Amino acid sequence: MSSDIAIRLEQVTKRYRTGRSRTIVDLVASGVDQLRGRSIEVHSTTRGRIDGTISALRDVSFEAPTGTGLGIIGRNGAGKTTLLKLISRVTWPTSGTVRVAGHAVSLIELGAGFHPELTGRENVYLGGGLFGLTRREIDRHFDDIVSFADVARLIDTPMKRYSSGLYARLGFSVAIYSRPDIVLVDEVLSVGDAAFRRRALEALRRLIAEGKTVLFISHDMWNVRRLCSDILWMEDGGVRAYGPAGEIAERYMNEVNIEALANQATALQSHRGGTGEVRYRTVDLVDEAGAPTGMLAAGATLIVRTAYHAGQPVERPVFQVAIVDVDTGLVITTATSRIGDSPDLVSGDGVIECRFTRLPLRPRQYVLRLSITDQHQLASYDVVTAGPRFAVTGQGGGVESLADEEDGLVSLPFEFTHRTP
Amino acid sequence: MNLTRREVKGRYTQSLFGIGWAIAQPLATMAVFTLVFSRLGKIPSGGVPYPLFAYCALVPWFFFSNSVNSGTLSLITYRNIVTKTYFPREIVPLAQVCSRLVDLAASAALYALLMVYYGVGVGRWGLLLPFFFLMLVLFTIGVTLVTSSVNVFYRDVNPVVQIGLQLWMYLTPVAYPLSAAPERYRVFYMLNPLTAIVEGFRSSLVFGRPPDWQLVGISIAMIVALLGGALVMFKRMDKYFADVI
Repeated sequence: MSSDIAIRLEQVTKRYRTGRSRTIVDLVASGVDQLRGRSIEVHSTTRGRIDGTISALRDVSFEAPTGTGLGIIGRNGAGKTTLLKLISRVTWPTSGTVRVAGHAVSLIELGAGFHPELTGRENVYLGGGLFGLTRREIDRHFDDIVSFADVARLIDTPMKRYSSGLYARLGFSVAIYSRPDIVLVDEVLSVGDAAFRRRALEALRRLIAEGKTVLFISHDMWNVRRLCSDILWMEDGGVRAYGPAGEIAERYMNEVNIEALANQATALQSHRGGTGEVRYRTVDLVDEAGAPTGMLAAGATLIVRTAYHAGQPVERPVFQVAIVDVDTGLVITTATSRIGDSPDLVSGDGVIECRFTRLPLRPRQYVLRLSITDQHQLASYDVVTAGPRFAVTGQGGGVESLADEEDGLVSLPFEFTHRTP
Repeated sequence: MNLTRREVKGRYTQSLFGIGWAIAQPLATMAVFTLVFSRLGKIPSGGVPYPLFAYCALVPWFFFSNSVNSGTLSLITYRNIVTKTYFPREIVPLAQVCSRLVDLAASAALYALLMVYYGVGVGRWGLLLPFFFLMLVLFTIGVTLVTSSVNVFYRDVNPVVQIGLQLWMYLTPVAYPLSAAPERYRVFYMLNPLTAIVEGFRSSLVFGRPPDWQLVGISIAMIVALLGGALVMFKRMDKYFADVI
């Protein structure tokens, strides 16, 4: 295998047995069944199937060049984690070959090697040892590991007293400092707070810059695109697509959004609150031309068009539309009351439109939260906690366009000046 | 190595006596044996104090049985690590055996005190002790590799091991000397490597006389065969551990 290929899979298939495992009762029962001339199926239907296999991966082939960040995306059960397990040699393919150049460290579960009775300090040495570090190497990096995980205060406390976030943070920290050639990350960044997630991403980026290979499973396209130059899209145990991150992410998000839009009607039904004097009947996202949209480019105009129905006359209701970032929370709230354009009285059907001109949002997924309240905003007639979603896409996408100089939720025009006295 | 440390530390944290419990087990059994076998059963101990005679065999015995006991379950206990990270899997049961070495050392230290108390010295045959110790460790590793790996596939192994170890202690000359075993069963004793090991510990430490070389020879052959077979078997099975565990 040439040195610039870190991982190569050739026609890899992995099958798992399904059903429960065989017990002695089954052996006896199948013997009895045979004597009585019954077919095995009769037994299976009453006690649950024993046989049967499921293909977690089917004929998967791909190569990951050394020094790249490769995102692995796909819905649950697509085979992403199985793929990582094969690459980390935790499990073996049923057929095909898996070649891995160098030392692969898997972050499938952070802190898996930790012992809850031991202190953080002892576990750093224990975990580091499992990742192949010597005592001396751990000694040298100990302070870095602890400060990266930000657990200095609790380092001599048994880990059973740690919160799960702390636990994972220390696990991640140890793994990162074990200087692997290949890092396999499976959705672990969902633990820990925003600050830690950010540091973790930075650390992974640094590894890639140093020529290490990072495989990154995540459902968060934002993070995948920040970290990875390429994306492998898994579907039903096979490779759906493999290519540049921006392009694949866009295709994937398109598909996810189309599906989400298709479910929009039902989405309004769930997460619903309020007393019901006035309710939203439909909520549509349309663009400037009035065409329905679920994805818009940064800087485009978004119109939230709602149709309401008031079962009885209601005086001065306040319509509110809020944009919420899926990961970090509220971005902005708007309400009709603020601009004095609340209708004095509503009765029957009507339409309220909220227009966001040149939406200054960064490429991410957002969800709308809508409510209708009385004029003092004390009682809620209707609350839609999880309304329609929409995604903002970047121009072209890819790691470069998402660099740190333009991070965060909103795009604001800015300029710096530099003066020296 | 790290797993060993983890195991030892984990076992004795949040316990008042800590490592003291490693001594308590053979000590308590020695007391029971002294009462039952020596006082009531009038089992001969070959002219040395019976407590010393029994304790000398109980130390290697408990090393063996505790190792096999926890070793059998080790791969399942550590399923977190086995299913999540890659490393040579034999490390897991080996770490269990190694962690019991600490217990062995502690209980052996007490044995030294007992020898002083009873005024029994160690002769030149005591030089053979490391040799029997090696046999003990290798045999324990062999058995543990087999039971731990098969237990991944069939959890029946664990109860079988539990019961088996109970019987095995009485089928090994721990509480009594080999010479007290009936002549016609002697051949079964010879097929049990622990017989040679336990008797070897005794002859080198307590009696200060040469061991039964024929017995030792058979045992070595069996231990080597077992260990080789166990390693091959373990390496064949270990790639399936993560899938079935």
